Amino acid sequence: MAVKAEILLVDDDPDFRDALQIILENHGFMVRTAGNRHQALEALNVKKPDLIILDVMMTTDTEGFDLAYEIKKEHGAGNLPIILLTSFLEKVRADGPGKFQHILGEEWPAKWMFEKPVDAKKLIAKIEGILNEE
Amino acid sequence: MDRLAGETGPLNVPDELFKRKRIILGELKERTLWFIKLRWWVPPSIAIGTALARWVGVEFEWGALLCLAGFILVYNFIFHLLSQKIRNEAGQKEQIERFTHWQVGFDYGTMFLLIHFTGGIASPFIFFFVFHITFSAIFLPRRSTYSFALIAAAGMGLIAAVEYLGWIPHHDLLFQGKAMDLGQQPFHRIVILGFFSGFVFITAITITAVMQMLERRILDLAELTEAVTTLNNKLNTLYTMTQAIGSKQHLEEVFSIACSELARAMGVQAISVKLLSEDGKFLQFASAHGLPGEILKHKVVEVAKSPLNRRVIEGEPFVTGHVTQGESFQFGEDLEAARLNSVQFVPLIAENRVIGILGAYSSHPEQFGPEDLNFFRQAAGLVAIAIENARAYEAVGNLIQERSRFMNRVAHNLKAPLTAMASMLEVIQNGYVGEVNEGLRQYLSRVDRRVCGMLLMIGELMTLAKSQSKERRVEYAPVDLETLADRVRQTFLEKASEKKLDFEVNVSMDFPQLNADQELMEEMLENLVSNAIKYTPEGGRVAMAIRHGENDAIRITVSDNGIGIPKDEISHLFSEFFRASNVKNVVGTGLGLAIVKEIVNQHRGQISVESEEGFGTTVTILFPVAQTEPSQSVVLATEEVSHPI
Repeated sequence: MAVKAEILLVDDDPDFRDALQIILENHGFMVRTAGNRHQALEALNVKKPDLIILDVMMTTDTEGFDLAYEIKKEHGAGNLPIILLTSFLEKVRADGPGKFQHILGEEWPAKWMFEKPVDAKKLIAKIEGILNEE
Repeated sequence: MDRLAGETGPLNVPDELFKRKRIILGELKERTLWFIKLRWWVPPSIAIGTALARWVGVEFEWGALLCLAGFILVYNFIFHLLSQKIRNEAGQKEQIERFTHWQVGFDYGTMFLLIHFTGGIASPFIFFFVFHITFSAIFLPRRSTYSFALIAAAGMGLIAAVEYLGWIPHHDLLFQGKAMDLGQQPFHRIVILGFFSGFVFITAITITAVMQMLERRILDLAELTEAVTTLNNKLNTLYTMTQAIGSKQHLEEVFSIACSELARAMGVQAISVKLLSEDGKFLQFASAHGLPGEILKHKVVEVAKSPLNRRVIEGEPFVTGHVTQGESFQFGEDLEAARLNSVQFVPLIAENRVIGILGAYSSHPEQFGPEDLNFFRQAAGLVAIAIENARAYEAVGNLIQERSRFMNRVAHNLKAPLTAMASMLEVIQNGYVGEVNEGLRQYLSRVDRRVCGMLLMIGELMTLAKSQSKERRVEYAPVDLETLADRVRQTFLEKASEKKLDFEVNVSMDFPQLNADQELMEEMLENLVSNAIKYTPEGGRVAMAIRHGENDAIRITVSDNGIGIPKDEISHLFSEFFRASNVKNVVGTGLGLAIVKEIVNQHRGQISVESEEGFGTTVTILFPVAQTEPSQSVVLATEEVSHPI
């Protein structure tokens, strides 16, 4: 299977990370993983991926959001698509624009949010959709 | 320091006198105006009397009488105009008395002329003086009454004398040519004059004596009426306070109503509520109505340094009518500066424990009597209940918030490993890590189903926790029920067709606008339809209908012909985690209906369930349409408390 695209998967839960990595790889993506902010930024410095999958709630409520901000603003990856993963999609949607607008500005990537537990088929369809748009 | 033990009278003498004067003055004003009304009858009466007398053949100066009738008409008209001014003004006693004296003066002048033209001392008009004397005996000072009697007697004496001496002509009343004059002889004149004078003075004396007695009675009655009004006022205050305690949960609101109502009912300048700290060492102003800023600056009072407050906290009320800068008052100079002379402090007692002090402050010295103290104690009882009430509400609210936060944490911690498990299961099931044989696949899919069930349950728990916490505010907006119903239909179309159900959604268009939270409405409908589909066997029927119900309500029904609910279990239906005994084989959490109930409550709707085991279930929800957005904090808090779980 030809390598379709490179994805950076950032999540602090190693079990989930490993499982999702295997699923994505079996769908032809090249996947690198990071377990925290530091690893994620390091991975970014090594090579820019085509897409980032980022868990919203890592150790703190806002860690994922903060990291998304950092990646977008400070690491020259403004156009890099980021899919935010969350166990509490509704809550994040409800709080999001109000709570995080100041961080992410106008381009709140709400349409690229995805709920945990992950429905693999839907996630892959979404990834392909985003990458095709680019 | 004055300790009140009933030795100071509750009556404030200058006030009392002023009150009495006011009552009498009001009556005098009214009667003076009434006198003008009566006078309008005099000129026509003179005219009719003149005509009648002429008709029976009495001869007299009728022309002069008619002129006098005209004169009365003219001056009464002037008095009438002046009276309009008096009626509208808060007249002074002297002004009204002067007005009355002028009226009597004109009346007397006219009377003397009438008497002169109708036979002088023999005139039948002389008895008419009795009206004025009676009137003044009732309403004017005794001095005026005796003066009027004296003027009447003296005036008549003068007329008799000058007519007798021939200084002015004597006009006879003639009947059949003969004079009706009894006073041709000086002796006759003196006798008549004597009797007349006696008559007017006896009238004056008896009526003033009787009036003195009556006046006392009137004042007693007026005092009683005032006392009843005051009592009624106080009762109203207690009632208003009780109402406030029942309807307001915020302590500040209850305090503000209680303080202003108490100040009004007691007629005092200020009311304060001081609350005792948990350790009992400090008193802090929680609310104050009418107290100057200087006093409030000392917001915290150290109990150890204030013998007065300590005594009140020990349960003894404190009342003084003369605030002095003594040892008892920490801020006596502030009270003096604010011209507050009387203060009254009672302890606020809840469950046999002093929790604070209620204070009243008045600028009048010796303001507070035993009755005030009694009333104030009752009021303090109510304020204490309000405090306990509000604290209980707060505790319940905090508990609910705490529980909600706890549930969120638990849900998150439970969901994370399950999410990982679900993804790992997928990895195994898809054979990404090795071949999976059929037996293993079956077991893995059973594990998968249980994991998904658990995730579902956690999700619903979260929703419930959210809807019961203040985090989720109900956003009221007009809801397009037609679109909403269609969306729900789309959502469940696939599931319904999988089970070969007859799935119908009917929306009649005749209902009025519903103001509600769109998201919550959708969640409510989804839960109901999902339940109906879940518990209806293949080939069954599920229907949702929205129409204009009775009493201008929007009626939403979701019905099915599924397995139904056993009769004795319907009442538990809305409890969290409740699942009917006949649903063992259906995956579910038992949270769906609890969520529906919560949403209906938040929108002030009603929900009812009809069901027969084996034949199906109908859930009916009614929403009042005249929904105005209720005050959020109050409504949510009420719901949280009235439906504790």
